[in-house]
Amino acid sequence: MALLEARDIVKVYPNGVRANENVSLSVEKGEIHAIVGENGAGKSTLMKILYGLEQPTSGDIFLKEKQVEIESPHKAIELGIGMVHQNFMLVDSFTIAENIALGMEPQHGVTIDRQKAIRDVEQLSSTYGLHVEPNQRIETVPVGMRQRVEILKALYRGAEILILDEPTAVLTPRETNDLFAAIRNLITEGKTVIFITHKLREVMEISDRVTVMRDARVVGTVNTRDTSVPELARMMVGREVFMVVDKPPVKHGKSVLEVRGLTYANEAGRKLLDHATFNVYESEILGVAGVEGNGQTELVEVLTGLRDATAGDAFVDGNSILNHGPRRVREAHVTHIPEDRLTNGIAADASIADNLIVDRYYRPPFTKGLLLQPNAISDNSQALIDQFGILTQSGEQPVMSLSGGNMQKVIVAREFSSDPRLLIAAQPTRGVDIGAIEFIHQQLVDKRTEGLAILLVSADLQEVMKLADRIMVMYNGEIVCMLPNGPDLTEEKLGMYMLGAVRQTAEEMEAGGS
Amino acid sequence: MNGKASRNISYVIAIIVGLIIFLATSYRVFGAGTLDEWVEKFNTTAGAGGILFVNALVGVSVALFVAQLKWNALRVTITVIAALIFGYVVTSLFNLDTANKYTQGEFIVALVSDAAPVEQDDVDLQYGRQRGGELNKPGVRDPLTEASFTFAGNEGDVITILAAAANRRSEVDLQVALLGPDGQTLASSTSAAAEQLEQFEDLRSEKDAVIADFTLPASGVYTITTQPEPLSTGTILSEAISATNTAYEAFLLGPLGRPNRWAVWIQDALTLILIGLAIAVVFRARQFSLGAEGQLYFGALVSGAICLAWTNLPPLIVVPVAILASMTAGFLWGLLPGVLKAYLGANELVATLMLNAVATRFYELVLTFQIKPPTAGYTASAPFPEGNVLAPIIPDTQVTIAVFIVIIAVIATWLLISRTPLGYEIRMVGSNRKFADYGGINSKRVIMLSMAVSGVLAGLAGAHLAMGIHRMLILNISLGLAFEGVVVSLLARNNPLVIPFTGLLYAYLRAGAQFMERDANVSFEVVRIIQAVIILLITAEALITLYRYRRTDRASTPDQKPEATAAIEGTAHV
Repeated sequence: MALLEARDIVKVYPNGVRANENVSLSVEKGEIHAIVGENGAGKSTLMKILYGLEQPTSGDIFLKEKQVEIESPHKAIELGIGMVHQNFMLVDSFTIAENIALGMEPQHGVTIDRQKAIRDVEQLSSTYGLHVEPNQRIETVPVGMRQRVEILKALYRGAEILILDEPTAVLTPRETNDLFAAIRNLITEGKTVIFITHKLREVMEISDRVTVMRDARVVGTVNTRDTSVPELARMMVGREVFMVVDKPPVKHGKSVLEVRGLTYANEAGRKLLDHATFNVYESEILGVAGVEGNGQTELVEVLTGLRDATAGDAFVDGNSILNHGPRRVREAHVTHIPEDRLTNGIAADASIADNLIVDRYYRPPFTKGLLLQPNAISDNSQALIDQFGILTQSGEQPVMSLSGGNMQKVIVAREFSSDPRLLIAAQPTRGVDIGAIEFIHQQLVDKRTEGLAILLVSADLQEVMKLADRIMVMYNGEIVCMLPNGPDLTEEKLGMYMLGAVRQTAEEMEAGGS
Repeated sequence: MNGKASRNISYVIAIIVGLIIFLATSYRVFGAGTLDEWVEKFNTTAGAGGILFVNALVGVSVALFVAQLKWNALRVTITVIAALIFGYVVTSLFNLDTANKYTQGEFIVALVSDAAPVEQDDVDLQYGRQRGGELNKPGVRDPLTEASFTFAGNEGDVITILAAAANRRSEVDLQVALLGPDGQTLASSTSAAAEQLEQFEDLRSEKDAVIADFTLPASGVYTITTQPEPLSTGTILSEAISATNTAYEAFLLGPLGRPNRWAVWIQDALTLILIGLAIAVVFRARQFSLGAEGQLYFGALVSGAICLAWTNLPPLIVVPVAILASMTAGFLWGLLPGVLKAYLGANELVATLMLNAVATRFYELVLTFQIKPPTAGYTASAPFPEGNVLAPIIPDTQVTIAVFIVIIAVIATWLLISRTPLGYEIRMVGSNRKFADYGGINSKRVIMLSMAVSGVLAGLAGAHLAMGIHRMLILNISLGLAFEGVVVSLLARNNPLVIPFTGLLYAYLRAGAQFMERDANVSFEVVRIIQAVIILLITAEALITLYRYRRTDRASTPDQKPEATAAIEGTAHV
């Protein structure tokens, strides 16, 4: 008997986007039901409907075989449906106990009974094996614990069915393992979990059944033990997906980027980047791994000229590039695929043509004398639109009119077409679909084989291990190891460095650095 | 292909609309009669050719507006029409008391009879006499609402009673009644017949009332009562609407009534276009800078000082130097808040408003203590020397060679924004400053320069006001136009090629307002309301666009359904 059932859900947004097309889903009590699909496949919309954030255009929802109307999240919680969002919805300055009890605090006369709230949280926490420290403020605890707080928050409100939206996106491998253990615990305590993800390996590891969505429809629901990663990938994308990158061995060339003692301290004097020293060579991808927030963002921003370093220096082909703004960096043939691409990498209401020349508009052939050359600008955009397959009517369309994937392509087209020596790519596949990830990975490797030096910063450890020739791990603003990538390098080993449990000596790093 | 065809269609429509506007304005301004009358008027008007030339420019502005904004042009037009309709409703509300003229005013009551007068002391009237008064006098605590007069009469006397407005200004609509000695109404009337109007010269119109040839049934004291006829709702409404129609006719056609009125429209439009361009430059860089007012004052002051001081040099040198000086002054006064914003992080809105206050006070100070001739009775400079002004292109008006300056300014601003590297930088900083920084644009420099370039245009507007319109320096020389440049620029979506049209449109509404006030006695405040409504509607329209964008955004960001899938297909082919 199905605990929660959605039948023939159709959702059409006011702008005409059909996000769900006759979607049916049946979740049984006590199972871990994974929902996979690419960005835009409609899985988030379906979850929003189940949690009352969106109303279906048509279709019915049944809970324990009784039809229900979930008109708001409030109603969903009443019905025992809880949701943990990808972006946590917590009050940073409140303690964990306060956050969990928020809105339904135990009363003590007219005041809040804090002690009872803390006792409740402790009890809940030990029942489900979700370890938290009730008296710590949210802003002081790591991401993994914040996620456990979100789960406890839902349980505290009596959730029987928990919807977890991409819960592993923000976690280290170890934290992911902890989370999976907690999820199994929830199941033994009689809860039901709906698990949204696009990481197929995780699906295989944790789920009982999988529903695959593509193109706003359900492709199928399968038992996890009867399927495999390639099969799921094929269902998701609708064609064969080759998860391996074709990466020929290449001997790296001469040094392109030399970073020496690079340090960045914020206004408060805290060193967010501490004495980083490394090289990147021609025909090499140097992968930067690490839990997010350990200085990777600062490293990229200092190297690309968006921030001034406090100390140290960096050279591209022997020329110092630091502290003179992005233009000097770009003129040294360094290109940059930024982390927040859709906020920093494009001007949304400007035309595609204008977006494609931001690094070169002032040079011939785009400017001659005092004036811009509209013909050169539109030729440039037409050529790049063709070469990179950007789907648009013309280069005069605003970038805003493109889909997310095509916006990404505008950025890649610009950055790859500037005759680069060094590419700094920050989280190049974040928010990108499986099919497009394959494309981007192959592009990076091909460019590297052609001789480009690439600094790849990614929070996705598998991505780094798949692409990089060497891997350095950042922890607390410092480089804690520099390792050649190879079959004997394991996730667990890197994980130890990422958590700061071990670090290499200077000599060891030297050895890995060439 | 399709895009090209629709573009051509929009150009054709633009040219047709521009031509219509050119013909219509030229037709109205020379008196809107038959063709012969028109030719006659045209031939006798000084500078008629110049007027035609400027009207052609008006036509070009309209054509540009249509060609540039396309469907948005329709939306702007609808916005303005909606505001005008709203203004019409407001004006008619203000006019609801128009009908009151029928209930107030001076009147007389005359008693006519061939019979012998009856002598009696305690009555008000005798045969052959008349009495008067004023009904519902405004501003009086207990106005007279009804008048009654007594007279003594004998049985069989034949009397005629006239109740009439007392003079030409009074439009009171009277009714009259005769009461017998016992208080019974014996006769009454609400109007006068045509032959009675001929017969009695006291009567003025059919609105007066006559009881003719009434034979008294008995001897005694009779009473005549008279009062205004009660107003019907229909009368009130029709009077309000007809007054509003008169007012709106003055409003909508006033600026084209005569060549000198037309000149008022054009000269204000030139100022507004320059200020609109100034605002467009900073708004394009998404800097909410309102410094045009101060830059305008400095431009006016510097150019005025040069015109007053250099009396010995030929105007051919003085005038260009004065214009360049006004541009420089505007540039520097615009650069200042730019520097404050770029390097000290000062909010540009606050900085420019403060600097406006500094500039206007400085202007007043210099004008009062340095420039004003000691003998002058009011705070103004001496008139500029004969040649040191912008030469009129239409005699006896303030429509000057500033027309050409404005044409150059429009083209230069358009080139700057869409065809120069700086313009590209301004557009990128305005669209997404983080993106501009990421791409290597020095956004601080761009912000500074955008505000300084904006100052150049505002300074020019100051020179136009000093050297073209007033030909002297006066207090409050900006006439409050500086802030209206914001509306001009917003209506044009900060597009330099559309600003000539919106500047002309806005100046037309302003000029029409003046003439409505003058001709139809409707206060300028009504026009303010219309302007406010236009601003409100533009804002609302912008909000709707934003809202729709966000709806789309929210719907497609987490689930970019159709395109995202297409994107994969696309990547597969690369």
